[in-house]
Amino acid sequence: MRGGGSAIPGTVALRIAPRFLEDTISAIPRGVVAISGSNGKSTTTNMLAAILREHGLKVFTNPSGGNLPQGIASSVLSQVSLGGKLDADIAILEVDEGYGPRLAKLLKPRTVLLLNIQIDQLNRYHEPDRVVRMLEQVAMTSTTSLILNRDDNHLVDMDRRIPGDREVSFFGASPELIAGAAHGVASADRFGDAHAEVGAREAAVTVTDLGDSQAVLAVDGHDIAVRLPARGLHYALDAAGATATARSVMGAAFRPGLVTAALNGLSTVYGRGELLQVAGESIEIIMMKNPASLQLNLDSLGSTPEQVFMAVDEGTPDPSWIYDIDFSSLSHVDVITGSKAWQFAVRLGYADIPVGSVDLDVRAALKRFLALPRPANGRKTMILNYEQMMGIRKILGFKELEGGGQA
Amino acid sequence: MTDTERASSAADRLNILHLFPRTLGMNGENGNVEILVRRAESRGVSVSVKRYEDGDSLPASVDLVFIGSGPVSAQLETYAWLPVVAPPLRALAAHGVPFLAVGAGFQLLGRSVTLVDGTELTGAGVFPVTTVVGGERVVGDFVVSSPKLGTLVGFENRGSSVSIGDATPLGSVVYGRGNLPALGPGASAGAAAVAASGANADGTVLVAPDDRAEGFWVGNLIGTHLHGPVLANNPALADWLLEAALARRGETLPAAPADLVEIDRRAAKARETIASAPLSE
Repeated sequence: MRGGGSAIPGTVALRIAPRFLEDTISAIPRGVVAISGSNGKSTTTNMLAAILREHGLKVFTNPSGGNLPQGIASSVLSQVSLGGKLDADIAILEVDEGYGPRLAKLLKPRTVLLLNIQIDQLNRYHEPDRVVRMLEQVAMTSTTSLILNRDDNHLVDMDRRIPGDREVSFFGASPELIAGAAHGVASADRFGDAHAEVGAREAAVTVTDLGDSQAVLAVDGHDIAVRLPARGLHYALDAAGATATARSVMGAAFRPGLVTAALNGLSTVYGRGELLQVAGESIEIIMMKNPASLQLNLDSLGSTPEQVFMAVDEGTPDPSWIYDIDFSSLSHVDVITGSKAWQFAVRLGYADIPVGSVDLDVRAALKRFLALPRPANGRKTMILNYEQMMGIRKILGFKELEGGGQA
Repeated sequence: MTDTERASSAADRLNILHLFPRTLGMNGENGNVEILVRRAESRGVSVSVKRYEDGDSLPASVDLVFIGSGPVSAQLETYAWLPVVAPPLRALAAHGVPFLAVGAGFQLLGRSVTLVDGTELTGAGVFPVTTVVGGERVVGDFVVSSPKLGTLVGFENRGSSVSIGDATPLGSVVYGRGNLPALGPGASAGAAAVAASGANADGTVLVAPDDRAEGFWVGNLIGTHLHGPVLANNPALADWLLEAALARRGETLPAAPADLVEIDRRAAKARETIASAPLSE
């Protein structure tokens, strides 16, 4: 049994054999890489797994979204041999920030990659400062190496704030690219203490150029071209983080050229820049997990979307932050649904963005949107929170775990 | 619009003072100011917004004051500037200038804020309230019944309690916790939220469940922990503030034009949706 939502087998296994997860994982020869941060965990995990596979390693990883203890245990169960062993050289595990400290102690990662700290799920984390402290604890568990985003307000000097000795490397983007992004990298504000300026650290991997779904990374004097899952500096930074981590893991065996090959062959992780084909039409999915992901995805839109559908439900209990979002890349929204639909309709009203209709019945709203005439550019746009993304994929007949194929 | 673009004549404009927008700008707080501006300008009332950051001088003419919420770290950073603004803010309050203060900003404009480690921050003394940080964290939908404005809705996310003494609250709590922890039989949503937060609520029974109250509303001073941001779901509160600000100048708020009527229809639907099935974490 596999699947993003199938945490049940893992829950059962953890109850029967609480040490099952750490015993299985600790037997993996090259150890664990843990990846955490507010945004881009699934995308980056996917990228790093591909790069290391291209280097010839057998990789165990947790499918996107399965980043809680039960989810990781379920992933292990689905791939473990009868003798209780995983046939893998290395484990690359996406770790939820909230469970990070506990999981990291359990998994004892050799390498930790931290992507970013952005305003995210304040209903769960209360304030970004708590996430900073949780990720500090995750960083501290790394025994060999720590990879940090130098363009993040809190990560730029996290290595100096935690005890212990380990190799530290950074990834980032050129100052020109960051200045050119409409809302930068959406790093959470840092208050109250003197600290290193963002970008001040020497990066092992730097994004130096950004195109439409592609980027150039500078690595040890080489320029490598990589394909991204969708437009956007945030995806390029994910690629830089994955590349910096692969470089650290492989050491002298790292080959920059293999990064290009690995990322060219990747399918998107669902909901992250994914293009679904429904009845001959392309539907672009934009996930709005939190302010940073929504803003950066809106900023990365190539042109004003012709047809827009929005669905947001209780998975986003407090949508107050939509008043911090610049929606000016949208000319209108055709249909809004989900239990938070009216709150979004109010927000769009204040932003002077016309709203076609609001319907709390998701299926009815979806039907109405799909019935709209085919857009001139052939592409419809859906802006969805995570829970609605999962539900709507199912309604549309996409039942597979990873993006791409129709069930 | 920038400050200078709006600077033509302070006397002709409704002057909004937005305190510490950089540090106290979490939870979409800037939206409250955007909403006030839009609701005034749609009716032909010109507005000037002064965003007050660290160490600036306060504008001479102020008709309405807004301060928003933020994390404790932001509260500590903002606290350093409090002595500069406290006397003029108290003077504005004494002259009946309407204030809307939310979350950490409301706390800082109170008399004191006691942090988890026992440190006591002296507040600006605009609101006669005291805050104690810690205890439990309540997170969930928030429904308040205001005698003046009816049902107010939003989101509650706080790890502190506010004591308003004998002062009048913004309203009574229908769903959520409110200023002080209320436990025991009948505390329903508040207790559920406390339990869900995993906190130990021993010894925190400060008011009877039926007496749960939210915020502070005396004269033209309004303080609350409603997010949403608060004015998004509750346009009646926004209009009350604008009316109070204009009344001091002998003016009245013109009727809402069609664009606001449509926004208010949507906000009524949002209130109805939240109030009919509120949820806690």
